[in-house]
Amino acid sequence: MHSEPEIRQALREWILGKARDLDPAALTDTTPLFERRYLRSLHVPELLLLLERLRGEPIDVEDLGAGDFRDIDTLLAKFGPARAAS
Amino acid sequence: MTVTAAARLRDAIASLKETSDRLSRLSQRSYQNPYTAVDWPESVDPETEWFSSPELLSLYGTPVWDTLDERARCRLAFHEAANFYSLNIHGEKGLMQGLAARLYRRDLADVADYLHHFLDEENKHSIFFGGFCTRYARVYPTKQVSFEVKRPRDVEDFLFFARVMVFEEIVDRYNWWQGRDERLHPVARFINNNHHFEEARHLIFGRRLVEAMWQACAPAWDDELIEDVREHLTQFLVTSWREYYNPAVYADAGLADPYDLAEQAWAAPAQREHRRRTSTKLLGYLTSTGILVKEPVDAF
Repeated sequence: MHSEPEIRQALREWILGKARDLDPAALTDTTPLFERRYLRSLHVPELLLLLERLRGEPIDVEDLGAGDFRDIDTLLAKFGPARAAS
Repeated sequence: MTVTAAARLRDAIASLKETSDRLSRLSQRSYQNPYTAVDWPESVDPETEWFSSPELLSLYGTPVWDTLDERARCRLAFHEAANFYSLNIHGEKGLMQGLAARLYRRDLADVADYLHHFLDEENKHSIFFGGFCTRYARVYPTKQVSFEVKRPRDVEDFLFFARVMVFEEIVDRYNWWQGRDERLHPVARFINNNHHFEEARHLIFGRRLVEAMWQACAPAWDDELIEDVREHLTQFLVTSWREYYNPAVYADAGLADPYDLAEQAWAAPAQREHRRRTSTKLLGYLTSTGILVKEPVDAF
């Protein structure tokens, strides 16, 4: 399992790879990723695969909604290492 | 949608009536009972019977493939068959929802009869796919979560039918190959062959409808919207392909480090070439109609 800073960094890199018009300096941990359309829901499967790999276990997708993917902070709170350990 | 675009779309749908009537007659002739069409065996042996063609497996041609013995390859082929059937189930769920929502809509009334067959046949396919997964393996969950922004109706219509076509064109290449592969278990051959036989009609309908919708609607869309539509379809192609590389399958097949394996397989040159080759006909259609203007590089 990766640490929280490692997950944050990996998420940043992945998001900037997908949202090519997004200035890296403008991407913070609270930037609304889907609301501002840097990402679209079709990116979610790849994002979930990345999160599963980083935390080292599967994510149950059945009850997930837009609010679970709002920004990097939300992703960490929902899918990060603390959550995985709980 | 402008009055001119609405009129163009109406004319485009009307031009499909002859095709959809012909396809409806063919569907009536091949109407089948999914509960009697397959002789399901009590059990199967995932380590000695083949359920997928090895050349189509997601690890074929990657470094790990050479490390697998015959039984391990066979086991992988079994779980990948269940994954292939599962992604078909999830794709068809979305398709059935979209078809049901459009049944008897006034501007689609000319093709309503065929939409009934389309819906009926997709439901039956899912009965076959689900029948295999629930008897012998499991239904793998999809990672697709939809919370897309609402778009104008003509854009939603176009994207819906274009996504259906992209999904079905890829799946059909697998069905076509595996339906003819005599190494496969008879049940696997039947499921693939039957799906290919029926999808042939859906693909004819899909190609004609998507092109007609594009020609009718796109001239009224501004550059930003057209770019948005192209990005959506490009990402859909990437997402569709990505589901063939499922870490849960590798774990079920007893392979170590399934997440890293999925990344390595996705990036392997042989697999990139496989995706490109399998998508050739689809990409030819999308670029010749002007729907896409460049190759979706992230998919390959």
